[in-house]
Amino acid sequence: MAPPFTPYTFIQCPCSDSSTFNRRSPPSTPTTHHFHSDNDDNDDDDDEHPFDPRAPRSNYSLFPLEYLLYCEDCHQIRCPRCVAEEIVTYYCPSCLFEVPSSNLKSEGNRCTRSCFQCPVCIGPLSVTSLESHPDPNLIPAPDNTSAAPHGGPYILICSHCAWSSTEVGIQFDKPNSIHAQLAKLRNGGNPRMTAKERKERRKDLAQSLGSSYSAASGSGYPSHFADELDLDLDLETQFSNLKLFYQSQLANANPGGGASGGSASGSGGAFGDLGFTSPTSLSRILNIYTSTSSQDKKAKSRIGTMREALDRDEGLKIANLDESEAIAKLHAEDHAGTVSTSQLLNQTPQLHLGEPHLHGRSRFASELRPIPYLLRTKRSKRCPICRHIISKPEAKVLTTRFRIRLVAGSYIPSITIRPLSLPNASTPDPSALRPSKPAQFVLTFKNPIFEPVKITLATPALTPGRFPSKVTVLCPQFDIDANTDVWDEALKDGDKRRKKGESMDSATGGNNGGQHQHQPAAGKIWERGRNWVSIVVEVVPASLRKPMPVVLKEDEDLLEIPMFVRIEWETDAMGDEVGAVLGKDRDLPKLKRELAYWCVLGLGRVSDQ
Amino acid sequence: MSSSASMLTGSAVHRSVANIRSPPAGGGGGGASSSQSSGPSTPMRPITSTFASPSSLRAEEETILIEFGTRKLLVGFAGDAAPRGAIWFGPEQQRRVGDFRAWQSDYHPDWRNAASGDQWGKDYELWRSDVRDLDLGLVGDKIERALRDAFTKYLLIDSRPRRVACVIPSGLSIPLLSVTLDSLFGRFQSPTVSLLSPPVSLAVGAGVRSALVINLGWAETVVTAVYEFREVQCNRSIRGGRMLTEQTHRFLAKHLPQNQKKPETEDHENSQEYVLSFEECEEITMRLAWCKAHPSSATTKPAEGLSTVEEHDESEERRASPETEQPGLATIPLKSTSPPVTLELPYDLLTEPCENTFFDSRHSPASFDDHELPLHLLVYRCLLQLPVDVRSMCMSRIIFAGGCANVLGLQGRIFDELSQILRERGWDPVTGKGLDKKREDLEQMKQKARARLASGGTTGPTSTTQPGAGEQDGVWHDAANVKPEVDPIEEQLKKRGDPTSQEQGELRAVESIGAWSGASIISHLKIAAVATVDRDLWQQQGAAGASKPGEVDSKMQQRQSLGAGGFMRGAGTGHNSWTLGTWGAY
Repeated sequence: MAPPFTPYTFIQCPCSDSSTFNRRSPPSTPTTHHFHSDNDDNDDDDDEHPFDPRAPRSNYSLFPLEYLLYCEDCHQIRCPRCVAEEIVTYYCPSCLFEVPSSNLKSEGNRCTRSCFQCPVCIGPLSVTSLESHPDPNLIPAPDNTSAAPHGGPYILICSHCAWSSTEVGIQFDKPNSIHAQLAKLRNGGNPRMTAKERKERRKDLAQSLGSSYSAASGSGYPSHFADELDLDLDLETQFSNLKLFYQSQLANANPGGGASGGSASGSGGAFGDLGFTSPTSLSRILNIYTSTSSQDKKAKSRIGTMREALDRDEGLKIANLDESEAIAKLHAEDHAGTVSTSQLLNQTPQLHLGEPHLHGRSRFASELRPIPYLLRTKRSKRCPICRHIISKPEAKVLTTRFRIRLVAGSYIPSITIRPLSLPNASTPDPSALRPSKPAQFVLTFKNPIFEPVKITLATPALTPGRFPSKVTVLCPQFDIDANTDVWDEALKDGDKRRKKGESMDSATGGNNGGQHQHQPAAGKIWERGRNWVSIVVEVVPASLRKPMPVVLKEDEDLLEIPMFVRIEWETDAMGDEVGAVLGKDRDLPKLKRELAYWCVLGLGRVSDQ
Repeated sequence: MSSSASMLTGSAVHRSVANIRSPPAGGGGGGASSSQSSGPSTPMRPITSTFASPSSLRAEEETILIEFGTRKLLVGFAGDAAPRGAIWFGPEQQRRVGDFRAWQSDYHPDWRNAASGDQWGKDYELWRSDVRDLDLGLVGDKIERALRDAFTKYLLIDSRPRRVACVIPSGLSIPLLSVTLDSLFGRFQSPTVSLLSPPVSLAVGAGVRSALVINLGWAETVVTAVYEFREVQCNRSIRGGRMLTEQTHRFLAKHLPQNQKKPETEDHENSQEYVLSFEECEEITMRLAWCKAHPSSATTKPAEGLSTVEEHDESEERRASPETEQPGLATIPLKSTSPPVTLELPYDLLTEPCENTFFDSRHSPASFDDHELPLHLLVYRCLLQLPVDVRSMCMSRIIFAGGCANVLGLQGRIFDELSQILRERGWDPVTGKGLDKKREDLEQMKQKARARLASGGTTGPTSTTQPGAGEQDGVWHDAANVKPEVDPIEEQLKKRGDPTSQEQGELRAVESIGAWSGASIISHLKIAAVATVDRDLWQQQGAAGASKPGEVDSKMQQRQSLGAGGFMRGAGTGHNSWTLGTWGAY
């Protein structure tokens, strides 16, 4: 809602047309009527359904020109929705360190160094020694952990909102590898067992209890151990307990036939045991080859049975429905002590793995955890049809260059819009459109390619929506000259500028007997340059309170024109063309090409007067 | 979770070995627990097909697990304990690409105009179950963009086709399901999509085979009885998060200062005018809504024969704490009013929206329609309609889930209300004054008879009082005395020497790790889903090609039982008949 309105252009990628991309509607379902039920391929289809830029769906298919790529082989626009992506590099946006893809699997999608975001304001957190006076001028970079000059406990502090990890009771011993340290700390500073430690602990317990130990008898624990473990039963622990339990149950339920029973591997045969050296798996593999059919049948006929989890070690947790503590805390802490929705959204479920059950969310500000930075990726993009790479960034994190980048802007004409201010026009601010008052706009099409193109425009006479404005394109068909050699451009530059200045003069200062009449006329090009052409569009905005004053939705006062652009040009035939479009004629050395798409021109806001 | 070999792309072979071996936990702890019951044995492996080489096991591409909700998507990899990211739906997500106005400092969303009609909050939902005026294409677009965002931002994956498992509400109508599958197959090219139901996943996530899942969702609250990993009954009520947020709005609007009130707020039941923005109401609901403890939970003694849980002691404390403490004032800053105001309301009042939404004790139980039953009645009714054995299993495995389970005290309150009903009525479907009178009459008759007998002195007093005592809450005891049907699975377990759970017939709540995480376990263990849809078949046949669940019943049974070990359909039979399971029934 910025007051100075800048006209804009959005382009609808042809892929959102249901018939072109791989989104066939199943013909037999009556329920999927939202798709075009007729998959006719002729181009008139688009004309029959004029594009409505106000429809909520069109928000998903419109892109600014800068977002679009172009496949040179298919001669088609490719939008972010219709490219196949491949990942070049994973990196942390904070420390800019590259992360190998194997780490991603094991350690998740966040930076595991010392890069954290503030849970309150998502600003970057920095490591500071608690002893020193935190000097705002000397805040070390998040990854520059050695910069903390003082010893003693360290904290994370936000330089933007001054949140510090002491607010949730977390301090660190070392200034580096904060992520690992944080994983072992609960809010409030209590230690927390990691999955590995827990496993070792359990093993120790099992050994200390000797052979009498069995998972089914949780009461076999010494009581203080049980308490400790119970406290520790967070989401992650319960998950792993449950997983173990089910694995053992499945292993019991399907003992895999008697053949494998002979091997005396002590591993108990859980699913995780896939060591190819173990005799169990060897015999399993042999089994697969020797006795497949009978084995299968036998196993299939046996309905597996498994019991339910009985105690904590198997993942059962009796719910504690007593939330009076939290209620009392809510009363004590008030609105300010609770977290806002946006803060909650940043606290993804993963961060709370180590916490006791919170049903996936925290409620109080004291339950917030620092957010490790999400990793990012550099991606190369391919055309999904012909698999050619259309965008490929440099693999290095620090470079912003691209090896290959076929942006649509260098293949399809750009459209710029400016209001036409005629000398006799009295409106001081031409961008404010007045209801029922004709307004004229100059559309400038600039041809980026080295061939002359022919452009055909089409608009509905009335814009769709509740307030139909009249639209007239004065010159719907024209040719643009080729984007000739750079040197030509450089040489002609002065000339052109002079010319342009002239025409600007003529546009503002009345007709000085130049090459144009400079009155917008039907069928006439307004201006023409080396590789650009301007035409005039006339609109008569609708009154926004036509039958009666109505409640306007957001942007409903915006005058947007849907425009169908069709570009035709001829190129040299280049042998094996993958996506050769219509009009391919083998006799001619020139190949006719065509590109057509809908775009939306945002002209201005209709004033409500 | 079908691991068909055809989709192996082969490029990730080396990577995935580590992935499979990574839960070595199974070797350690699991071995200890299972070794006592069975000898060392090789686990059954999901054999994809007779022709597939077993080496295909190693090259398992990770499965993406998506939980669909009305308000958000949870996305992650199967086998993880928690989803990697959550995507919430909202108006900001529906903007055009390159529209950055939300970041402009002088931008204020014009919610007031956008909220005209019943649009208030509609932009924050993915779908509504009423599909009559729903743009299904738009739903598809929303799903696609949300998934694309999630894949790019949280999963950091490329756009190679991947297998997908969806936790998708089991009551979802076919048009919506079909849009979802279209997006997954069309845009993301998934070779197969498996469908998992949230209640079953929740039960798995709690480690139980039967459960009563109370899903306090956004659009509605769904109470589902799960028995042996099967949904056996499902009751719904529109009392969910949306209603709670609307009640919060109503509540806040009522307490606005006079000058900001709408003049005609008196007709508040039907008022479509909103004075506060949706975000604000939701935020206040999330932050401050809480629920009072059941008023009589501390005073009444637990009835005999219905032992009321260990939670009972705590509920006494709970009741005491909010009352003894002086309930303070809550400050609620409101920004979407003009001008912004700060309300100061006592905390006790803040329970009002919750009270009205979920319990609505102002009205008599008879005045509710089937679709708007208060939650405690809904749960009670669901249990009541279950067969006795199923009920006894389910009632001691109550799982609370869903967004509104976060409302402080709500779970406890529902639980207490339920115990209260059971204490008062037992499992008697008939209620009312007439019945009470009848009971009294019976009682009187009994006493008379007793008196007569006593005066006659023919029988000992003990023998007569016994049946009388039994009949006082006769229905309950009768039900409990019915000889339970033989449970084949339980029998088998006994035969195997596994300890079986004796926990039944008592109200008990268990904690689940959530539908997503439960489904993650299911997927990780390669247990076949009821409904696994192949891309080719879907694109050829669409939803109409699915067989009815009944037609593939025998297979379904095998697949649904967790023990089946994930057998895929055979190459011959399965290729032509596939099912959407429970999803195809609506």
